[in-house]
Amino acid sequence: MTRARVAAAVAGLTTALLLQATLVAPVSAPWPVSLPAVLVAVIALVDGPPTGMAFGFATGLTADLGSQHPAGVLALCWLGVGLLCGLLADRRGVRRDALVAGSVCGLASVAATVLFVVVRSPGSLADAITYAVPAALGDALLALLLIPLVRRMLRTESLRAPHPVYTELTVGARYG
Amino acid sequence: MRRLTRRQRIAAALLAVVALCFITLDLGGGALRDAHSGVRGALGSLYRGTDVVVGPARRWMEGVPSAGSQQSTIDQLRGENARLRGRIAALEAEQRTSGQLARLQRAADGTGRRLLPARVVGYGPGQGFDWTVTLDAGSSDGVRDGQTVTDGAGLVGRVLHADSATSVVLLAADPGSGVGARDLRTGEIGVATGLGADGFSFRPLNPDAVVRVGDRLVTGPNGASSYVSGIDVGTVQSVRRSADGTTRAAVHPTASPTAVDLVAVVLAADAAGSLAEPGRR
Repeated sequence: MTRARVAAAVAGLTTALLLQATLVAPVSAPWPVSLPAVLVAVIALVDGPPTGMAFGFATGLTADLGSQHPAGVLALCWLGVGLLCGLLADRRGVRRDALVAGSVCGLASVAATVLFVVVRSPGSLADAITYAVPAALGDALLALLLIPLVRRMLRTESLRAPHPVYTELTVGARYG
Repeated sequence: MRRLTRRQRIAAALLAVVALCFITLDLGGGALRDAHSGVRGALGSLYRGTDVVVGPARRWMEGVPSAGSQQSTIDQLRGENARLRGRIAALEAEQRTSGQLARLQRAADGTGRRLLPARVVGYGPGQGFDWTVTLDAGSSDGVRDGQTVTDGAGLVGRVLHADSATSVVLLAADPGSGVGARDLRTGEIGVATGLGADGFSFRPLNPDAVVRVGDRLVTGPNGASSYVSGIDVGTVQSVRRSADGTTRAAVHPTASPTAVDLVAVVLAADAAGSLAEPGRR
């Protein structure tokens, strides 16, 4: 884990949360579209499960602490987003990856709402299920914009993963 | 589909356990209250800065779906209508209570409210819309926890936390929370339960009370409600009587819960429900 990667992660996390609160959430309401969740998904798709999990947990916890519900709910859900997207990554087609990101983020938002209801925070399950598909489409659209950007950034010399060998090799071996 | 190594699996499980610990800690008590308010305050001040840059873009994008349909004129007229209706409602309410007030030798002072204008600078940072908004006014402007927020015509919500420069408002339509409300036509009181984007569901306390389509609801007596009384909640759209005799009415909110921008915080109100500083509105 290099210093440049940590700095880039913090910058990305803050930007995503601020844009979500001031631009994406107001414009997309009442669809539960989430830019930070999409960023987690895209980073996991590009960089694999470990980075995805760590970034998802950190972003989720910050978002949790910045809102009313108990901390840990979004951390748990976005940890799952990082994990799933890391596992399902294809890394070649942009459109397939965007679809994966959209559907995983849509699932995560339903899961988060279930948890909100369990811990008695604001949120209605009926709304979450009604809006799950449009929200997933919105997420996929955001992912379509983010994937090329994140790919380019994470493949520069200073932000490259320190040990790219393992995941690249297995992918290479499986697809011949 | 790739697989995780053993170490990665352990790390995933560990992080999940940590997240569950956080949830239990936060549910159990105030262990994380300082962390919450610290992060909320920091993000709140960042929202103010970000809103200066993206605010115009957001307002433009919110206008795109209705562009070309003269929506802005309609909205303006609607707002004007709502304001005038609000004034009529206040007059009606005053007429109805003035007799009682005279008997009680109290000044009829239902309109003297001190309002602090504020602008919505952020929604929740997590996902979509979690029924809270952040305002650009805080405790240094006189905002305190629990104060009522209106948009000039209708009820918006109440202040959950006031930080120094920003405050977080829980919207009244938040699913599951209740507002003490009064039917203006009959004077019957009841509870209006939030239904999210659909508005409210009103249930009168007296099961025999007659609720009609078109009845207007205002926030009720202060004892049953954490809101300042006499603020417009919404209009009854449909009424359903179930077999066991209970009445439920669907209420269309006066202030749209998902389209709040400029709002006002009601600053001064004493516990008895008459408002402290008379004169200004």
